[in-house]
Amino acid sequence: MIPVPREEFQRSLEDLRDGVREMGDLVLARVDDGLDALETADDKFARSVVHGDDEVNDRYLALEGDCIDLFALQQPVAGDLRLVAASFKILTDLERVGDLATNFGRYALATEDARHVDVDVVDVGRDARELVADALDAYAAGDAAACREVAARDDDVDALCQAASERVVRDLIEREAGEDPWRTEALMDDVSRLLLTIRDVERVADHGVNVAARTLYAVESDPELVY
Amino acid sequence: MSETDTVDGTDQRVTTTGETSERVREAWSDYEFAGDAKLVVDDLDVYYGDERALQGVSLDVPDESVTALIGPSGCGKSTFLRCLNRMNDRIDSARVEGSVTLDGEEVYSDGVNLVELRKRIGMVFQEPNPFPKSIRDNISYGPRKHGDLDTGLLARLLGRDDTDDEEALVERVLRRAALWDEVKDRLDDNALGLSGGQQQRLCIARALAVDPDVILMDEPASALDPIATAKIEDLIEELAEDYTVVVVTHNMQQAARISDQTAVFLTGGELVEYGDTDQIFENPESQRVEDYITGKFG
Repeated sequence: MIPVPREEFQRSLEDLRDGVREMGDLVLARVDDGLDALETADDKFARSVVHGDDEVNDRYLALEGDCIDLFALQQPVAGDLRLVAASFKILTDLERVGDLATNFGRYALATEDARHVDVDVVDVGRDARELVADALDAYAAGDAAACREVAARDDDVDALCQAASERVVRDLIEREAGEDPWRTEALMDDVSRLLLTIRDVERVADHGVNVAARTLYAVESDPELVY
Repeated sequence: MSETDTVDGTDQRVTTTGETSERVREAWSDYEFAGDAKLVVDDLDVYYGDERALQGVSLDVPDESVTALIGPSGCGKSTFLRCLNRMNDRIDSARVEGSVTLDGEEVYSDGVNLVELRKRIGMVFQEPNPFPKSIRDNISYGPRKHGDLDTGLLARLLGRDDTDDEEALVERVLRRAALWDEVKDRLDDNALGLSGGQQQRLCIARALAVDPDVILMDEPASALDPIATAKIEDLIEELAEDYTVVVVTHNMQQAARISDQTAVFLTGGELVEYGDTDQIFENPESQRVEDYITGKFG
């Protein structure tokens, strides 16, 4: 056969892949900032995290538009179709991770002095962040084995989150009754916020698994991880 | 890409993509469809003089469904289509080896009545080709020829006048071809006055008039505008409720839209993959098919 590459189209696919990867880097930087804000409880920094989601959203909408253009104008099939379809879904996951980073900033802003010394949710958050980063590497490289490895690690993050939640609740139960009512209110706020933080960390990892699952579909047409 | 070599004296062929013919064959030999096979093609070779146009094609066509044949120009897909009702018999230099059966009966047996065969396996061509006759006569011409309708003077004298049957047939098949509402008030007008899309639907109606089992279509919409094409595509899908439809098309998106299963032929007259249409377009097993349908090679 005579090679007749659709050069423009192939370039568009590479641009899409690069664009998703770049948006992923932006989102990872936001997660880093969110976790740093939680760690430092620096109000000013936390506020910048809360108000810094616009760039991710703009990037998300632009790339989503690119996917729709590719569907409408190039009518991709086979591996090309799977790449565009997977990218379309992955964009949504990345945008959500960006939202969760914003949440971290909000939680950091609301944190009182009574932080739980026993639970280092930021550490677990960094594990979840690494999981997303590795999923993005797998996407950029089209690496099916790495996708499966990323998905397997989600159980570890889940277990850490579960253990952290239990510790927070146990700590609450074991506190002595009859403390100052104002302190009790503050404690309840802190506990709720901590549990929400743990839940959001777990969700970051879940979105990382989604990125890996869609990538596996794109590479091998294997929906194994999607369900 | 289609260059082949013989390895170790076996008939295992290796392409430059590294696929062996056995692997390629495996990609679709396991293809199982629901329902019965209407046409069974086994190890079909076609030669035009010394040139081989099809090589060892085996493929079962399921009953009451749409099968699309796609591939680049010169890949043998139209040759394959024409083998199904022995249209290649009309070409002196064409030689066909292998077997085609319709409902279990060999199409290439010596005693086969070609008129009867083509009544059961009708054909619609790329360019609409209505007879330069009235719309009504286009429909009733075939049944009259086959003796299924008799509306002449002698028939009337003998008390066997099928005029009512003819009217019913004309209406039935024109409705079936989604043309009735557009032509019911001008059935006696010359068919050549119809638009291209209407002419093509008339040709489909004409094929239906002799009550076929299978309808072969060779690029049936390639000469039509998008709206006329959409009507033909809708019609093809509706016809598959009662007929077995085999369509050759250059338009891969059309194949994806209208067919239940797709067979991909590549240069050299080789059937490279055959499977459910969604599988072919979402996840083809053959790299050569992937390269072809994604436009990397043509």
